[in-house]
Amino acid sequence: MSTETATPVPTTTLDGADEAYPRDRQYVLVALALAGLTGIEIATYAAPGFPLWGWGDKAGLITVLMILMAVKFWTVAYFFMHLKFDKPLLTRVFYAGLILAVAVYVAVLTMFNVWYPGSHN
Amino acid sequence: MAESVIHQGLAAEFGHVEADTNTGISNVKLAMWVFLASECLLFGGLITTYLLYKTPLTTEQGPSPREVFDIPFTSVSSFVLLMSSLTMVLAVSAIERGDHHRLRAWLAGTALLGGTFIAGQIYEFTAFKDEGMGYTTSRSSSAFYTLTGFHGVHVTVGIIMLVSLILLSVRGKLGVHRAESVETVGLYWHFVDVVWIVIFAVVYLIP
Repeated sequence: MSTETATPVPTTTLDGADEAYPRDRQYVLVALALAGLTGIEIATYAAPGFPLWGWGDKAGLITVLMILMAVKFWTVAYFFMHLKFDKPLLTRVFYAGLILAVAVYVAVLTMFNVWYPGSHN
Repeated sequence: MAESVIHQGLAAEFGHVEADTNTGISNVKLAMWVFLASECLLFGGLITTYLLYKTPLTTEQGPSPREVFDIPFTSVSSFVLLMSSLTMVLAVSAIERGDHHRLRAWLAGTALLGGTFIAGQIYEFTAFKDEGMGYTTSRSSSAFYTLTGFHGVHVTVGIIMLVSLILLSVRGKLGVHRAESVETVGLYWHFVDVVWIVIFAVVYLIP
């Protein structure tokens, strides 16, 4: 039997989420957290000698920026793109592409910078 | 008809229920996620190319991108794009509640913030050109403009989709039953934002 009807079906019945999406207040709080993280990123440029990221000849700076980038990326994907609330399949599909991309390009960068340094010049 | 009413009642009471597909996810939404996963490979390739060629071979090839960056200006642009993700998700929330007035306001806000970002990028490119870093000045400048230009094109496509949604809503063709269209455009928009999060950190901030 067909499940199609003349009456429009609400989107909430179509998107296959596991949980209800959060209310606007939670979105605003997440955005404020993201703004704060961006502020810390900018601070690494404005105050390069700050002890939190001033150690290890740029190693500290790179570590802090990479962590901030990953947290911001994950936060947007998890809350704004609803991966927290949708079916896990969507998370697997997205992270499969992401991990594949990172793996391929880390391999390429390793090849040119470690195994054959300068060969791309 | 009765079946539909029961279905909607369940949805209202329990939130989201299964779509009528094998995965329980609508095909459009799944397709968008697969597309976004493939986009990771596209932008990954462009970022890798930039990282490989970020330093000009010789000083005669003009300034490197890092020498002409205006980090405070780009920080503001990044913040603008980040906040556009908030307005986008509020638009999705508005249509799920059936609030079309707020939907149009949030969509317009998102498009405006996206337009501000693009205007900033055009200004930035013009300033870089004036400082001697054109598209063909060096391989590093080519890699930089290609990466950020591709991202800018994605933002522009997103703005076009947002304006299309606003027009559909004004004409009354974007009912609650089509909220998934807004959510799908929202996924694309948020992805453009997360790509910029990576570009801003890797290209502009990390030494």
